[in-house]
Amino acid sequence: MPWPIYLALKQLFPSGRRLPFFTIISILGVGLGVALMLVSTSVMGGFGHQIKRMIIDTQGEVQIRGRQPMETSAAVESAIAGVPAVAASAPYAQGVVMVEYEHRPAFPVIQGFDLARIRKVVPLERYLTAGSFDDLDDDSVILSSLLASSLGVSVGDKVSLYTPLMLERMKRNEVLLPREARVAGIFRIGHQQLDSSTVLCSLRLMQDLYGLRQLVHGYNVRLQPDADPDAAAAALNRALPPVASALTWFEANADFQAVLSFERNMIFFLLTFIIVVAAFSITSSLLVTVVRKTREIGLLGAMGGGARSVAACFCCQGLFIGVGGTVAGLGLGFLLLHYRNAAVHFIASFTMGQEVFVKFYQFSDLPAHTAPRDVVIIVVFSLIAATLAGLIPAWRAAKLKPVEALRSE
Amino acid sequence: MSDAVLRAASLRKTYPSGDRVLAVLTGVDLTVAAGESVSIRGESGSGKSTLLNILAGLDRPDAGELFWAAEAAHRLSLGDLTARRGRFLGMVFQSYYLIPELDAYGNVLMAARMVGGVGATERARAAALLQRVGLDERAGHLPSQLSGGERQRVAVARALMNRPHVILADEPTGNLDERTGDEVIGLLLEVCAEEQAALVLVTHNPAHAKKTARSLLLHAGRFA
Repeated sequence: MPWPIYLALKQLFPSGRRLPFFTIISILGVGLGVALMLVSTSVMGGFGHQIKRMIIDTQGEVQIRGRQPMETSAAVESAIAGVPAVAASAPYAQGVVMVEYEHRPAFPVIQGFDLARIRKVVPLERYLTAGSFDDLDDDSVILSSLLASSLGVSVGDKVSLYTPLMLERMKRNEVLLPREARVAGIFRIGHQQLDSSTVLCSLRLMQDLYGLRQLVHGYNVRLQPDADPDAAAAALNRALPPVASALTWFEANADFQAVLSFERNMIFFLLTFIIVVAAFSITSSLLVTVVRKTREIGLLGAMGGGARSVAACFCCQGLFIGVGGTVAGLGLGFLLLHYRNAAVHFIASFTMGQEVFVKFYQFSDLPAHTAPRDVVIIVVFSLIAATLAGLIPAWRAAKLKPVEALRSE
Repeated sequence: MSDAVLRAASLRKTYPSGDRVLAVLTGVDLTVAAGESVSIRGESGSGKSTLLNILAGLDRPDAGELFWAAEAAHRLSLGDLTARRGRFLGMVFQSYYLIPELDAYGNVLMAARMVGGVGATERARAAALLQRVGLDERAGHLPSQLSGGERQRVAVARALMNRPHVILADEPTGNLDERTGDEVIGLLLEVCAEEQAALVLVTHNPAHAKKTARSLLLHAGRFA
């Protein structure tokens, strides 16, 4: 082992002695920075991943949207079926209704699906917490959990549905009769927005409520397991008539995804400063070491150690602190990620309570998704920062003349 | 002198001191034969340490010539001198200058690390040298766990590790009591003789100077 590396290791981790305070603090500084970057990027990645999963589970990977309400014609159906990447598709229509139960109103989004086909596209049964999807017919609805809770509704109760079409009739002084619908089930996806204001029903009921006759607003499309959504959407757009266009789940929510990506990058950028501050701390401590060990540096010169080797010794110390801090930070970060929900619930129990947490932060559990690319970026960044931190002390040490260093007091 | 291992001719060195120039060495001539022991005495400020630094290639003379064996060291750059120093000579200092993070064995072996690799041969030699200076049982001790005399013994072993041609010792007993100092000087002379290394000893102590083969007195920047 070259002596600069050997000596750097010995100075940071001396055998037979306690770990120097400088080593502990420096490694801790880098480690905390790495851990925070890992946790924050993983949690932000988790939000993105969960949102992606929820979007796909409720819309499919690709959504075909009509420029106007469109017919479920054979031309459209065959165009969709002709794309090999498509596994299944189901027409949908959606709008807004007023739901009332015992004088308690709510204004959720209502989505109507072709009950015979929707199960092959979106796995709604997975999210049912009460009732059964099999009980859903043209006279019943499935409510999201928070909506059902706010209305005080259980499975089997009947709710009243009011639509904009009814308001049009009311303007014409027609009698306003709401549509009664039995609650066939309650679902919970885990996203506050969807769980608080969504009603699912049959396509026929939705077409009745909105006076759509046989028209639909589009199709939800499920792709084959390894199909590329971008390529599939492009193929669908080539095959579809001009009245409709296909969007991937990402394009359909592009603004939201852009905001999420921006937030994630900003948090990553801001947290890099923790490592930068830790690097400055390493620089400061190593500069003190250079002053404290001036005569030792002179000795190294007297023993035949060149200026470059002396500099390499201090650069190596920065690098080893970076390696130690990165390993410790990754360990701490993954540990925090493993116990993140326990930690968040513990903190929430002291500050706002679990329900408030769910209400405002939209997720009942803190999601996390660690992308290997993010880990690589964090590791490389922290190693470079810590190594660069050793450069100024290394330069100062290399500049010392052995004869003057040996004479220093 | 064909067997001269160290030769200096007309060495001059000045230092700026305020508006004046202080002449520290005004023409030093010195020849040390292989295996010879030479002591240099002189008053404080007479230039003993400056001369030793120039002989070690740590400092440059303003004028004069310096030969390490047959090589004209005065013509080499400081970088080239550094590269050759580790094998050509060993140094012993008044303040020992052991590396505090390394034990006695590690400090001795460090000299070999700095000039090349460390293998079984080097490890065996480091152990043998520690045994020779009477510290084989203290090999695993850190400098902070050793007495002043023991630290200087480690420094002597380290200086001899690379089988140098010359040992330059700058007041090696300055921080030791009389008895320990005598022991260290005795040991230094013995091991240098055994290793056939020339010794240049800078000392204030006339008794120590008498133990060397030749004793020189530095006065007014040159040997009296």
